[in-house]
Amino acid sequence: MSDAARQMTGNALAPLDALRNRIRVASWYAAVGEELTSGERWDARAYLAGLGFAETGVAAVADWKQAASVAKSPDWSRDWWDREEAERSALLARAAELAPERELMAGLSKVMELTAAVTHGAAAIAASRAGIADQALSRVAAGAGAQSAYQAALAAIAHHGEAEHPFSVKFRLFEAGRWPLGISGGEFHLF
Amino acid sequence: MSEQIVVKHTNELKDAPAEFREAVSKLVISHAVNELYGAQVFDEPAIALAPTPYAKWLTCRVAMEEYGHHVRFRELGEEMGIAPEKMTPSEKRPLSIFEFPLQSWEEFCVIKLLADLAEILQVEDLLHCTFHPLRNLARMTMPEERFHAQFGEDFCTELVATEDGRKKVQDAIDRYYPMLPAFFGASVSRNNEIFRKWGIKQRTNDEMREDFLARAKELVEDKLKLKLPKLAQAA
Repeated sequence: MSDAARQMTGNALAPLDALRNRIRVASWYAAVGEELTSGERWDARAYLAGLGFAETGVAAVADWKQAASVAKSPDWSRDWWDREEAERSALLARAAELAPERELMAGLSKVMELTAAVTHGAAAIAASRAGIADQALSRVAAGAGAQSAYQAALAAIAHHGEAEHPFSVKFRLFEAGRWPLGISGGEFHLF
Repeated sequence: MSEQIVVKHTNELKDAPAEFREAVSKLVISHAVNELYGAQVFDEPAIALAPTPYAKWLTCRVAMEEYGHHVRFRELGEEMGIAPEKMTPSEKRPLSIFEFPLQSWEEFCVIKLLADLAEILQVEDLLHCTFHPLRNLARMTMPEERFHAQFGEDFCTELVATEDGRKKVQDAIDRYYPMLPAFFGASVSRNNEIFRKWGIKQRTNDEMREDFLARAKELVEDKLKLKLPKLAQAA
């Protein structure tokens, strides 16, 4: 790789350094079950609008049992999941134009290794504080957090750290200690 | 049979006999490759097949844990002086159990139920390994491996509650289970002899296979009330 190409790759992947710092210090799952703030409702609406679901209402989820029930609900929105996936694919394609595949995958792997290390313990602690000892549910929460960090990483590379991409906004909710559970029964559920 | 040598740190490995060094390297490479390949061909694609966000996020976490196992084995391998590229599927052929074309959620749940049980047996056999860095890694990995097998059991239990689910799980067992006995290696195995000679592993391939068949029978026939297919006699 030439010096110029190395410089370009470095610039493209630079937003991942800031994201890793944010992953380290995020308040993972610390605010689940608490009353939603106006800022969090605003973020939820911004995320929904960004994905094309501006008309969808935001519902607060009160506890871990309800969170599990929402995540298992048969009337979850496949359209919501598919739009996230389509956006993820588009961002990955854009990121692949900005950095060579090997460096891109190495950068994303570092983000995921860090996220894996911090989210599960944080979810297990938050659940146990609420009297829930459920190995699977804390892993479900950790999986959702990891997915969000991965999406935020792609958004950060493709949009060079721009804050208002829906995936960046969703990550901000995780960062603030929330668990966005997605659209189910026609509402966006935020724990 | 063991020659009672114990290697407590990777930096002591250079003083161990060449046969011991080669044997532990083979094991570390095999685990590093297969943990990565398993995550790539089964766990990652299963996220799309999972029926709810709950199952999708749980599968996502399980995929990350499997990848994390690869990272741990790779890091140990690097400490031992093994080149990183030797610990990837492009350099070393993964096991045949990964050649099953994953197409449904039921198949994935059966894979977690049975292949992760087989993996537990392999990791259990390292819990008293004379190469302590590998022993420690096996101990660290075991709780997650147990959870992955439990994941398979829990979701299979949920699936067999309906007639349709029961048929699909039975069909997946019928097609996948026959691939698994070979996972434990040949009855006469020079590698296994060497592993046991040095106390790296404890049991013969046949002992492990028999244990797997008994545990699989308990899970599939006693718990899930399904049938294990008859296996062809080994040549």
